[in-house]
Amino acid sequence: MKLLVITEQRQGKWNNTSFETLAAAQQIAAATSGTVSAAVVGKSVAALAEQLATKDVAEVLLVEHELLESYTPDGYCTGLKQVIEAATPDLVLFPHTYQVRDFAPALAAMLGKGMVGDCVGFRNEGGKLVFVRQMFQGKTAADVTFTGAAPWFASFQSGAFRADLLTAHRSGKAPVNAAKVELKAEDIRTKPLELFQEAKSAVDLTQSPVIVAIGRGIKARENIAQAEALAKALGGEIAATRPICDEGWLPLERQIGSSGQTVAPKLYLALGISGAIQHVVGMKGSRTIVAVNKDQHAPIFEIADYGIVADIFEVMPALTAELQKTKG
Amino acid sequence: MTIQREQLEADVLIVGAGPAGLGCALHLANLITKHNASGAKPELSPENIYVLEKGREVGAHQLSGAILDPRGLRELVPDFEKTAPLDTRVTNDGVYYLSESRAWKLPITPPPLANHGNYIVSLNKIVKWLGGLVEKEGVNVFTQFAGKELIYEGQGIAGVLTEDKGVDKNGKPKENFTPGYELRAKVTVLSEGTHGSLTKEMVNRLKLDGLNPQVYGIGVKELWEAQPGRIETGFVAHTMGWPLGSDMYGGGWVYGMRDNRVSLGSVVALEYANPEFDPHEAFQKFKTHPFVRRILEGGKLVRYGAKTLPYGGWYSMPRSYVDGALIIGDSASLLNAQRLKGIHTAIKSGMLAAETILEALKAGDTSAKTLKLYKEKIDQSYIKEELWKVRNFHQAFHGGLWKGMVHAALQYITGGRGLVDPMRSEAGYKDYAKRNGNGTLVDQSTRFKGDGKLTFDRLTDVFHSGTRHEEDQPSHLKVRDLDICSSRCVEEYGNPCQYFCPAAVYEMVKEGDGSKLKINAANCVHCKPCDIADPYQIIDWTVPEGGGGPSYDGM
Repeated sequence: MKLLVITEQRQGKWNNTSFETLAAAQQIAAATSGTVSAAVVGKSVAALAEQLATKDVAEVLLVEHELLESYTPDGYCTGLKQVIEAATPDLVLFPHTYQVRDFAPALAAMLGKGMVGDCVGFRNEGGKLVFVRQMFQGKTAADVTFTGAAPWFASFQSGAFRADLLTAHRSGKAPVNAAKVELKAEDIRTKPLELFQEAKSAVDLTQSPVIVAIGRGIKARENIAQAEALAKALGGEIAATRPICDEGWLPLERQIGSSGQTVAPKLYLALGISGAIQHVVGMKGSRTIVAVNKDQHAPIFEIADYGIVADIFEVMPALTAELQKTKG
Repeated sequence: MTIQREQLEADVLIVGAGPAGLGCALHLANLITKHNASGAKPELSPENIYVLEKGREVGAHQLSGAILDPRGLRELVPDFEKTAPLDTRVTNDGVYYLSESRAWKLPITPPPLANHGNYIVSLNKIVKWLGGLVEKEGVNVFTQFAGKELIYEGQGIAGVLTEDKGVDKNGKPKENFTPGYELRAKVTVLSEGTHGSLTKEMVNRLKLDGLNPQVYGIGVKELWEAQPGRIETGFVAHTMGWPLGSDMYGGGWVYGMRDNRVSLGSVVALEYANPEFDPHEAFQKFKTHPFVRRILEGGKLVRYGAKTLPYGGWYSMPRSYVDGALIIGDSASLLNAQRLKGIHTAIKSGMLAAETILEALKAGDTSAKTLKLYKEKIDQSYIKEELWKVRNFHQAFHGGLWKGMVHAALQYITGGRGLVDPMRSEAGYKDYAKRNGNGTLVDQSTRFKGDGKLTFDRLTDVFHSGTRHEEDQPSHLKVRDLDICSSRCVEEYGNPCQYFCPAAVYEMVKEGDGSKLKINAANCVHCKPCDIADPYQIIDWTVPEGGGGPSYDGM
């Protein structure tokens, strides 16, 4: 059986699930007396191909093209279709990454084939390959096999195979051969923009020494600016109770309470928060709690160190102004 | 977007792991083992029985009083007394009539309410235990998966779609999006409990209604840990009267469990006139009665929960079999409203369904023609014997408590016939009296707040239900026409959803000059009066992402 592993790299950096999948391929090859080839796709990725060649593979296919520099589903599908047609593998394996989820089923469909995604294992049952995939969130496992003619397509879940079991090439190095692909710019319907750098979770409330939290007392979205100004003056972060985040006035990551974050800052300023237990469990460990609420019976005053029975719309601007004054 | 769903095929798919569903699964697994041992063909396997449960774990959504008539369980698990987590036997049994400050014990306990030989149990614990037995037999129990839609084929059912996971508030797939499964089965068993969302749709769509519409009660329960010596283990009190008026159908309970635990609650029929009646508040008041207060004082609230129960009985039973599907347990209206017991009939109905299914699988015919056997078995079982005697019981109380007592007594001596048979009934929401509203919102800031020790507001109680939902998902409570909420309903009924919901899910908030309905779906304890008691019948309770909902440990 001829196996082909399509590895994944981005800007010259490996996606390490590639090696796990390569290890899986070696194990399948051992079980079926097959051979493994590996492909690396991109532009100027010869160095990566050399790295792959040190593994126990029969051949490394270097799939390079100007239009494969950035990932596009059209580019990958069209390019890899040509590679597969030329190399005629029986089984094409992928690491089950987000990118693979995006293009691999389409690639299989272009060749009129099915694909078994997200596998965690395989068995060789008398020459017939059976793939194992989890269902119902891992509660049960399904055995899946192919019925039609090769090539077959499958992807392996991250962590399903161990990359450290990958065997090195016996005699030093496997040959690296360039695979010919023809791509035209007009084949590619998507225009890749600059890579989006995933923002680090914009805010980590648990690290903030001062939190200014708002509740329903804030009344309207446009009033949040006042609380934000106060938070800024105090050098703290703004947070909220669930109803505020429910309305979409602040993002979910700023929600404090049983269904949000649990925080224990030095100062917790609760503005217009009644103090429902769902909120209190998320902030009761704060060193100093200051509560401002119009309703003197609001339960928040039971846990507050300092309580101000007043309208937050009077307190917020006054406090902000005073703080700015002291700062000069 | 068309979603490609994974397809799986089972022999039997059971929706809902409660006493009925698990009773069916366990009995069927046992029958299959016997069938295979006898060498009969075709060979069957318990592994081809799937059970779906939307709760985080088996038992998480189980809530009941509960006093267990062991009849059903004894048939299912003959040595249950050795292994089941029964709490205690009933040792002291009484019915009380409450005025605002006093309690009178009825000189004799009316026979239907006598509980000699019964057990006080936590239904949560019993069902968890049953789930273990079922899994040991090799049945596949999938928790955190909900039945979202039925697959209709011809005049019947071919299976169920489970819910999509990883969908955001606006219905867009998130990174962890996983489409629901298409589960196909030769027989789908609906054991969703009270007012099941799939059952409701199937009964409407396939026109399976019984003679009377189903009527419901809403039960609100708390579990307490009392100071030692306040209540005897095995003590059972059922109450009538205060704080409910005699025009309302309902009552309270207080049970003494092991380790100073107290189960207490109240149930009210969802067919009252005052649209501002608040069942949660009524229950809080109930706790302030001296009879209850002296038990609870100094104790601690452990859990809270709420659930509806089907009162309609025999004449509200939908047709319970169609091509490829059966309805069992509470979903099939098998609760005995007079004895307020349905666990034993639920288990029994599951067992009768299992026997029917085995025959159908053996014959290779799971059409209504074969599955009809289930109804015949019910008719010959003690389920009918019990329910037939009380077929007019709940309806009799529609004219108030005192008239109801007279009717009930006559029914008792005539084997259930009474003065009128069948007594007809109407859906409970039709009983609301219209308020002479002027289109302004009723001020909610004066709502019951509780003292934080003996009595609580709804949010505090919801906290004690252990309810959790994935926050970033579409609301599972669908209101078909929000304009009605902010216009007609404000005026005509004052938005009863704000009152009947014991979990503070529904809330009218000001918007500009008017108002709009805000749905706090994450509070939902899956009790469903919204889908039942809304006067315009525009609220649809659907399943949220699996795993969401309450966590009824020990309830």
